[in-house]
Amino acid sequence: MSQFRRACDAMRRAALQVVPAARRDWVEAVWAEAADVPPGWRRLAWRAGGVQLIVREALMQRRIGTALLFTAAAGAAAWAAWPGPPSYLVISDHRALVVAVIVVLAGLPLLARRLFGPVSRSRTARALRVCTYAAVLALIPARNAIDGFRDVPPRGGIDLRVYAVINTEHRIARTESFDGIMFLVIMALCVSAVLWLTSQRSQVAPGTLGTGAVAGIGVGVAVYAVAPLGLSKAATNPWLPGSDVDPLVLLAWILVLFAPPAAAFVAWRRYTAAGTATAPVAGARQVLGAGLLTNLVGALLVAALGTGTTALTLKEAWLRNWLYHGQRQYFGIAGLRSLLHGDLAGIAYSHELTAAVDGSIFLVMCAAFPVIGLALIALPALDRLGSPETEPGRRSAATVRP
Amino acid sequence: MATRSGFSAQTLSVLVALADQPSEWRHGYALAKHTCLKSGTLYPILIRLADRGLVEACWQDEPQPGRPRRHLYRLTADGLAAAGAALAGVAESQARQRRRAPLTKRGAIARAMS
Repeated sequence: MSQFRRACDAMRRAALQVVPAARRDWVEAVWAEAADVPPGWRRLAWRAGGVQLIVREALMQRRIGTALLFTAAAGAAAWAAWPGPPSYLVISDHRALVVAVIVVLAGLPLLARRLFGPVSRSRTARALRVCTYAAVLALIPARNAIDGFRDVPPRGGIDLRVYAVINTEHRIARTESFDGIMFLVIMALCVSAVLWLTSQRSQVAPGTLGTGAVAGIGVGVAVYAVAPLGLSKAATNPWLPGSDVDPLVLLAWILVLFAPPAAAFVAWRRYTAAGTATAPVAGARQVLGAGLLTNLVGALLVAALGTGTTALTLKEAWLRNWLYHGQRQYFGIAGLRSLLHGDLAGIAYSHELTAAVDGSIFLVMCAAFPVIGLALIALPALDRLGSPETEPGRRSAATVRP
Repeated sequence: MATRSGFSAQTLSVLVALADQPSEWRHGYALAKHTCLKSGTLYPILIRLADRGLVEACWQDEPQPGRPRRHLYRLTADGLAAAGAALAGVAESQARQRRRAPLTKRGAIARAMS
């Protein structure tokens, strides 16, 4: 046998490993038939059909498709986020952060599979994982656009003086590396939480995941609607009057506080009405899952939308002018009003820099919202643990009124 | 393009080839020659038919000396019934088209005359 043929056979055997076990016979069949096909181009064409079959069957496997999708999305995110030449130390930090986040995102599902088992057999679970990854990947270029703007001081003029004033207030230079590390850690925790909730071993029902996700989208949209550029009083939505205590902002916070218990209650009701006997632990898992997921989805959604809006604000003047409007154009930072009096270019830069600085609040939301959600549903979850087993299709004794 | 029976023209050609001698086991290259399909088209069709229980497949018991064992295929009872129904459907639609054709021709001539 020629070396070329031996190499081809070795490649074929290696390629067979990516084909599902149930399909390998078919690929072997194509190769076996090649012996009967007249040699030359016709045999080559026959074998090309075999290669086509391998590719087709391998791509049908969900894991390979998912890996390819992630690689494409991560590549696009890294390409969009990759900062310019590393002439400045901060740029190198940003590059390292992009690589680190993508490595962590790629590694976590493998770790989660080992620790929590495979993904739950429901479309909701898979959709949640895909959306979480999409949100985190979208955050990478948006955050890098903001960090690249915020962390590089202007060369001179009024902008440098504005930078100095805002830096005195917010300590921009001190937070840059810390922010990067916190982003990595918080995103890893958020993604791990979603991977656990959507795994088979967590035993969170698809209905619970759906309830939590829908409630979370509601929370995310509500918080984003009132605070598209963070929670600073300097910036607000054009549709809010801009008073210190805005009823709509208050409503959004009430939603953040009440949505997790409400989602947990609905999820638990759906679960117990599904017709299966409910053990206390399973009930507690539904309560915990729905409550945690609500604020987790809400935080990731508002972070992705808010950070994206902030990044866009740095590029689009109309958006900046629309969002920073009315009497709050001087931010309330001491010394800025007198410094910027009448200087439109300086005002525009100060708005951009404030938006970039305030963008960090979305990271805080990603850390705080799930903790708030957990704290709010801890008691109901413990209550479910202590309750007796629920009969199929009935509510537990604790909730049945006399 | 899918026909009325739900099978594509290529799938129908494979079913016809297999239904030609339903009790005989056929190998892939013979089917490819019979249907003029390339291996990259033929085998996905065979896989789909096998998944639907219309085709059964097995490895040759006693391989010919000097060549690897062959994978063999034939129609199952369900496959034979499905092939019969599909072919009957195709024959019926062809007959309907033949019946319509003279009318259409006459109509076209009438339109041309007017």
